[in-house]
Amino acid sequence: MKASYVLRVFWIVMGCTFLFPFYWMISTSLKSRSEAYENQFGLPSTWEWQNYSEVLSKYDFLLYFKNSLIYTGGTIAITLLVGTMLAYCLSRMSWKWNGMMLFYVSLGLIVPIEVVVIPLFQLVKSLHINDTHFALILPYTGFSLAACVLMLYAFLRSLPKELEEAACIDGTNVYQAFFRIILPIVMPALMTQTVLIFMRVWNEFPLAFILGARDQFRPLTVGLHSFFVSVGVSHWGLIGAAMLMTSLPTMMIYMIGNEKIENALTAGAILK
Amino acid sequence: MNKYFSTRLSITVFAAPALILFTLFCVYPLLPQLWMSFHNHNGFQNLGFVGLNNYWSVMQQSSFWVAHKNTYLIVGMSLLIGLPLSMILALFIDSQTPRLRRFFKTAAMFPAILSVIVISQIWVAFYEPNWGLFNTILRAVGLDNLTRSWLTNSNTVMVSIGLTFLWQYIGLNAILLYTGIKTIPKNYYEAALIDGATPFQVSTRITIPLLQDVIKYVLILSTLGSMAFYAHVRVMTAGGPGDLSRTVIYQMYYTAFDTSQFGKGTAIAVIFVVQCLLISFLIQRFVAREKVEF
Repeated sequence: MKASYVLRVFWIVMGCTFLFPFYWMISTSLKSRSEAYENQFGLPSTWEWQNYSEVLSKYDFLLYFKNSLIYTGGTIAITLLVGTMLAYCLSRMSWKWNGMMLFYVSLGLIVPIEVVVIPLFQLVKSLHINDTHFALILPYTGFSLAACVLMLYAFLRSLPKELEEAACIDGTNVYQAFFRIILPIVMPALMTQTVLIFMRVWNEFPLAFILGARDQFRPLTVGLHSFFVSVGVSHWGLIGAAMLMTSLPTMMIYMIGNEKIENALTAGAILK
Repeated sequence: MNKYFSTRLSITVFAAPALILFTLFCVYPLLPQLWMSFHNHNGFQNLGFVGLNNYWSVMQQSSFWVAHKNTYLIVGMSLLIGLPLSMILALFIDSQTPRLRRFFKTAAMFPAILSVIVISQIWVAFYEPNWGLFNTILRAVGLDNLTRSWLTNSNTVMVSIGLTFLWQYIGLNAILLYTGIKTIPKNYYEAALIDGATPFQVSTRITIPLLQDVIKYVLILSTLGSMAFYAHVRVMTAGGPGDLSRTVIYQMYYTAFDTSQFGKGTAIAVIFVVQCLLISFLIQRFVAREKVEF
């Protein structure tokens, strides 16, 4: 089977190309300004650790990192709480608009967030939440809700009705039942949503480029982009160092939980 | 008991917060978008009603059509090249030993979890004409006449950006498809094996037909994802050379935020929303099939 042998080699090369940029990023980040051009692919001849200190003085990594954390954490917290509540209402309460609302929410999957950036820009100004972190958290939440509600809805619908009946007999009210009984049970679905929202919001760029443009509110993606623009293509060592610093948190999370992340990312594909 | 929990108050408490957030930030913006597209608006104030003039004038710009051509080129590339390659990679991952499979799955996901900004900037270096990866390889194998300045050449710029995009998401799509493959019961394959089917026949007659549900999901994700193509262009070329690598979203951003013509920007957005709705409808209408039950 010569063909399958060729195919195998092709894909092993392909597998390595997926990892190659990672190697390139690390090695370039330790090269001096001139070595980045002369020796693009080899290991650095002298390790220029000062690239990192230089980047830290020009690129406010900690501020952008903090902003990214706030945007991602805020979006996850609000989306999961209100999304699960709505999914609970739609799947287990008797409300005549249930079917209608489920359809309404699912419309949120059709329009990409970038398309409404102009009215969002105006809306955020007229709500006076520009120059706060909510300028991005709330739009992100609005656009994360559809997927979250649909997944939680599917999950909750599969649970037996007897769950709350027992709670009823014990005399608990609906809020206690929701927080003490339902939330712990839907934890796996919430973890999945956490990963999905994290991946989306942490790496989001187009909306943040407009709504998080002020230096003080920039997330990592926007901060990194403006750093690239300011350095130009003159010093790839610095660019490499900034890229690596920015990617490190995500890469570490991926290394620790890659199986969980993979399960979360694929959940949507087989759940429906 | 359902009645006991479902009071008017509890329904409001549970449903209202999400519905308000969703409506305000996801659905409502479409209305001022439509309104603004009929007005001459500079971002700070409305300078008067202009009817359909914004629509006529954006459609008369050549960049508008270039942007559409580029956007649909990206959609075409990701459906006609990206999707088949992901399918082949998924089948390949499936045929490996567990150890190699682990390696491939981890490696394949890697580009997708990194930020678009990082990936695009790395590829800017790869496309660099003097010392970049591609031209270095071409020179090394003696194909000097094929070397070019990939991102400033009007013929290659969009395909080059598109390749970066494909490369970034092929692995993720392959893993989505592979997850689907895993859910197909093993006895289907055993039956085929007894009947003497070749691996190719098994793939095309069993795996792919039974996978149509997941394929449709990946198809929708890739289509909508490539429709909204923007960030790669922003980092790699900023729309250049000239306007030749602008996508529709880029054209919209440029019109609204770089030239302060919010009215015209929203007109582009409205035209584009219609296209997104149309495409979603077409996918639902023609790609949707019966759910596969095992």
